[in-house]
Amino acid sequence: MVAKPKVAIGWLGSCGGCDEAVVDLNEALLQVTSAIDIIFWPIAMDFKYHHLEALKDGEITLSIINGHIRNSEQEEVASLLRQKSQLVLAFGSCACFGGTPGMANFRSKEDIFNWVYRDAPTVVNPKGNYPQPKSQVNGKELTLPEFYEQVYALKQIIDVDYYLPGCPPPPDLIANAVNAVLEGKLPPKGATLAPHKALCDTCRLNETKPDKISIKDIKRIHEVEASPDTCFLAQGILCMGIATRGGCGESCININMPCRGCFGPVEGVEDSGAKFISALAAMLDAEDDEAMQQLIDKLDDLAGYTYRFTLPVSLLRKRR
Amino acid sequence: MSDFEPKLVCFSCKFGWGYLADEASLSSQIKNWIPIICSGKVDAKHIAEAFKKGADGVLILGCPEGDCHYQDGNFETKKRVQLLRKVLDSYGIEPERVRMELSLDPEGKRIPGLVKSMSEAVKGLGPVRQI
Repeated sequence: MVAKPKVAIGWLGSCGGCDEAVVDLNEALLQVTSAIDIIFWPIAMDFKYHHLEALKDGEITLSIINGHIRNSEQEEVASLLRQKSQLVLAFGSCACFGGTPGMANFRSKEDIFNWVYRDAPTVVNPKGNYPQPKSQVNGKELTLPEFYEQVYALKQIIDVDYYLPGCPPPPDLIANAVNAVLEGKLPPKGATLAPHKALCDTCRLNETKPDKISIKDIKRIHEVEASPDTCFLAQGILCMGIATRGGCGESCININMPCRGCFGPVEGVEDSGAKFISALAAMLDAEDDEAMQQLIDKLDDLAGYTYRFTLPVSLLRKRR
Repeated sequence: MSDFEPKLVCFSCKFGWGYLADEASLSSQIKNWIPIICSGKVDAKHIAEAFKKGADGVLILGCPEGDCHYQDGNFETKKRVQLLRKVLDSYGIEPERVRMELSLDPEGKRIPGLVKSMSEAVKGLGPVRQI
């Protein structure tokens, strides 16, 4: 009997939603698991890192890795999985682009520590203790992973073969990706296993988009009752669909929420935020500098909005 | 930081700036000068890329308002710059590091002076910290 391909599912800086997305394959997961051996999946089954270390290099056919990298433990696990795997799939927006935790790159490590361990109103820390990679307690040395200066996407730390974005990736694209590996029908290395075009291309609201969008007043989704049948941008509500890769099945649009950009840049674009800024500027209908500034002042946290999922892989990556 | 010499990138529209000048001799006076066809071509990406590659400031020279060969390229970029400044601020890059000037100078004689005056302003801000 031919040995089944071995598959590992690893989570790094992750919320667990990507693992949940794998479980959401439902019955299809049973078919997949009959064709493969899952040899590592910490969130679902009891595996230890030493089980991984005991494997031969390249013994794992595919490692599906979700989550960003912000500390030394995450880097260690990612590197170990890379060493033991023939293929690595960056799974979900955090692994592909840094994801929402990547927005922490607008703050320094020092700012984050000061807030979390000193300044937040709920913190009681009279001794001013901050986590240390090494500390002595009762004559014994305790260790913690080192917290890095910034959030990294997976490809910034290890070599990645394929990408599947999404927060989380939708079941149909997951099944396609796993089947492509099992059947050996893989695109060239480095490919994103999702459609190439922008979300607008398949959005059902596209036909209600006027030829030229002109936004005179920016509205936030919670401030208005948005029409479910009209392009969000035509209603003055910012939607990232114009600068975001499609393939998600428009799950946000379908519940009357504008696209938040979790699929990242379209094919061939590096910085989706910069592209969105350029497009948005053209849509803002302001007659002069002053009117433009009034519109801009209404945008709370514009940078966070445009780089919600992609800051660590943006051209400028982090705050100076 | 008295010996700090800011690195500027200057984009200028060929329809309004320096089209009568000898490009080779003018470019010897202006470091990182990029004549382009319409300032509307300057995307937020190009400005971000300039900072990524070590620029301390970006100067964009476009045609006078209402005089764009392509209708409103200069105006569109002006809006783009205004919007991008807010994002750059979040990256810790001061908004003053991107400047846009809409005017006409066929011989391009004013370009070295404009670069110099922006350079003086950026000098006060110090270099963009590299990461």
